[in-house]
Amino acid sequence: MAAKGVLPRVGVFKLASCDGCQLTLLDCEDELLLLAEKIEFVHFPEGVSFKASGAAEREGPFDLAIIEGSVSTPEQLQTVREIRRQSRALITIGACATSGGIQALRNFVDDDGVNHEALQKLVYAQPEYIDTLATSTPVSEHVAVDFELRGCPIDKGQLLELISAFIRGRSPAIKNESVCFECKRRGTVCVVVADNTPCLGPVTHAGCGAICPAYRRGCYGCFGPRESAATESLAAQMKNIGQSEPEILRAFRLFTAGAPAFEEESRRHE
Amino acid sequence: MVDPKHPDSKQSDAIGQSFKPGTRLSMPRTGLATLFTLLSAEGFRLVGPTLRNGAIVFDDIATPADLPVGWTDKQSPGGYRLEKRADQRAFGFVVGPHSWKQYLFPPKETLYQATFDPVAQLWRQSGNAAVGSGNGAGGTAFIGVRACDLAAIRIQDRVFIDGKYVDPAYDNRRKASFIVAVNCLEAGDLCFCDSMETGPEVTTGYDICLTEFDDTFLVQAGSGRGEAMVAQLPVQPASQAEQKDLASGLARCRRQMGRQLDTEDLPGLLFANLDHAQWDRVAQRCLACGNCTMVCPTCFCYSADEVADLGEDPAQRERRWDSCFSQQHSQIHGATFQPTIKDRYRQWLTHKLASWTSQFGTSGCVGCGRCIAWCPVGIDLTEEVAAIKADAETPVPLPAYQPVPTAQAAEPFATLFATIEATVTEVVAETPDVVTLSLVMPRGYQYRPGQFNMLSLPGIGEVPISVSGDRNGIVEHTVHRVGNVSAALSALRPGATLGVRGPYGSAWPLAQTPGRPVTIVAGGIGLAPLRSVMRSLAEQDRTTVARNIDSQWVRLVYGAREPEALLFNRELALWRQNAALRVAVTVDHSTADWTGNVGTVTTLLRRKEMPVDGLYLVCGPEVMMLAVVRLLQTAQIPPENIYLSMERNMKCAAGHCGRCQYGPYFICKDGPVFRYDQVAFLFGRRGF
Repeated sequence: MAAKGVLPRVGVFKLASCDGCQLTLLDCEDELLLLAEKIEFVHFPEGVSFKASGAAEREGPFDLAIIEGSVSTPEQLQTVREIRRQSRALITIGACATSGGIQALRNFVDDDGVNHEALQKLVYAQPEYIDTLATSTPVSEHVAVDFELRGCPIDKGQLLELISAFIRGRSPAIKNESVCFECKRRGTVCVVVADNTPCLGPVTHAGCGAICPAYRRGCYGCFGPRESAATESLAAQMKNIGQSEPEILRAFRLFTAGAPAFEEESRRHE
Repeated sequence: MVDPKHPDSKQSDAIGQSFKPGTRLSMPRTGLATLFTLLSAEGFRLVGPTLRNGAIVFDDIATPADLPVGWTDKQSPGGYRLEKRADQRAFGFVVGPHSWKQYLFPPKETLYQATFDPVAQLWRQSGNAAVGSGNGAGGTAFIGVRACDLAAIRIQDRVFIDGKYVDPAYDNRRKASFIVAVNCLEAGDLCFCDSMETGPEVTTGYDICLTEFDDTFLVQAGSGRGEAMVAQLPVQPASQAEQKDLASGLARCRRQMGRQLDTEDLPGLLFANLDHAQWDRVAQRCLACGNCTMVCPTCFCYSADEVADLGEDPAQRERRWDSCFSQQHSQIHGATFQPTIKDRYRQWLTHKLASWTSQFGTSGCVGCGRCIAWCPVGIDLTEEVAAIKADAETPVPLPAYQPVPTAQAAEPFATLFATIEATVTEVVAETPDVVTLSLVMPRGYQYRPGQFNMLSLPGIGEVPISVSGDRNGIVEHTVHRVGNVSAALSALRPGATLGVRGPYGSAWPLAQTPGRPVTIVAGGIGLAPLRSVMRSLAEQDRTTVARNIDSQWVRLVYGAREPEALLFNRELALWRQNAALRVAVTVDHSTADWTGNVGTVTTLLRRKEMPVDGLYLVCGPEVMMLAVVRLLQTAQIPPENIYLSMERNMKCAAGHCGRCQYGPYFICKDGPVFRYDQVAFLFGRRGF
């Protein structure tokens, strides 16, 4: 906590990402003004006009750094190290920052014998302008992270809870349980049991409020693997209800393809 | 209307007849609509089975047309399908994914709110009793409650309202509920209520019981309210044929049970087979998704968290259904006691079918089969039990159920979560990360050494802290800064206020100390709950009692990581000067200025006299207590002379939230202090 009367200095940073998670902060609408009274955004390019966020203000220190996006370029690698050095608490938000994001699909290309450079040539007309790392990785792979907020995108309520908890100095009431917990609490009929729909809910980190099953669709795993993700048993169940190996592979290799538990499982179905 | 003077008096009108209470009456099918109208007119919200998203769920209903008329459910492990019936029965199915607990014990509920008093500059908590019943003034009528689900409601009653502490919100809702039960004349493929002796016949705990036939319902009143309602229904005495159909229907249902569970010696059997290979096999399949616990009508575990309080909203504590399949269920500042899926499944099954019997005097399973149907991978607990039984060790005895005496006027039951406000008078820094808070407690506050209080700061959280001493109405708590709440407590200054509730739990056996040598073994913060014992023994003038100084000594063996981490240094020095006390201190890692013992408490204790008739009180990290107990066992100390203080994830402190379970015990109410022989069968075993 910052000294009394002084608002905590917060920096919001973006690495390789789509901006959706930062946008969640602006989507807070009703709570945004309240939030602005409780913290001082000293760096928030997405939310503050250019003049107000001059280069000088990018200098820390920060009481709280909020990072969106994965580490995808050598420059971003330097950036996260600098942010960590400047920040008392560092939280990462979204599937990119916590697992490498959809862009971590490139982590798998070497399996096919295509190296990173060849891939760049395949995609870009003038790859010499591109300076990327061979892999897209979560921030926690490079610096210590105090809390990882999951989701693609993150949940607004959870983000507010995390920031309020930081302001008050308490532990955030954010559960690391499976999506099934939330699904059952809201009284949704299980789509696996009632409809034979493939669903990643049992192995996926909660936080979205179990939206998809409420619309009779299976969970896509946007929040990434939960702790103790029993992916092997779930994959066997998916096979039992008629999913093919490529379908199972794709189910686990989506927004959080780079998260170890899902990466391991998808490799089993290559 | 029932004439109280002449309950048997016959009247000619179809409506308004009175019959002997409990008589089975016949009602045309159209009478169901009348019943619904009457209940609504009385102000009841009607909740019952209805079709939604491919299943029969519970929801608000208005007329019998909202019921799943002409539908049934076909269930298998991990499978549930709706099917058309050949008839137009409204209750021609068994149980679906929902249970009545979602109305009596909602999945998410605010436990209390705290508001900031700007004049006094402090946070005040509103009592949990002030939290509304959530069911509206008229309460809720549950339509179509099966015998197994009625048994489940009675089981949750034992948890939430039949013990020493009453959950007021549950109590309100329970009292405001009207139960329309239904006898089952057909069993499902996953039903085994007959094995659990909970059904299929509704026998008790209902207001009105219905039995459905093609053309009529049998109606039976089970309470005064039910009788008054039945008297307004279009009923007539049941025919011989209807009575016979009920009996034969129930008998057929019993024969149809799709599953069975052999309950003989089951609690002792499961605890005798904690290393059975079947636990590993089931852990290969189990997803730890928690669905079995969420659909279970008796599972009651919940989490309690401080929630969003950005800005002006009052700080709230919220509870949510939790489950032993979540990691956080068994987690305390960094340690998780059930890290693996195997640990969690074993916790669930041993609790449901075994330790529940010690805790509440009943099995936790009612045989409804929901956990089998709604497990995505179709794990069947009846098969798991059968597999364990097929190749089992002999059952072990489990602790007997200790019923709580029912309400006594002299001692009103305590309200859960009600806190008092206490003011900090002094803060003593014991070590760099441990402080002792002195609190002014209300007159009459009493505790026994070994017990703990729940200390809370609104908006931050609540933690269990053992009482470390008291002087003239000032009660001390020694707090180790390990998480956010303990950090905030450590930062309090004299004059600050905090919430306190307690004392909770069991105490050290002080009455057993006179006339025998007492050895107190403490590690780290573990000295805090033993300090009161030391003080009490130090103050007891054991020298003046006719005593043999060689056989009635008190010894403290105390260890800490390093000299800097030793607690109560001033008091340790005083105790050293006391002729009645023998004090030995050791540190794991010495520093340059340390001239005392170096090594573990076990190393130090091994060098001391360990008389077999002595009393041993042990508190510290579990791994240390384990080493001490092993040493004491080697020294032939009988288990009943050893006492331990245990720690698990205590949230409610009343045995309601289920998170501090340790086999058949709740650490919060059966512990934290245990006589070693009580816990010997589990102590040191991973996963509990």
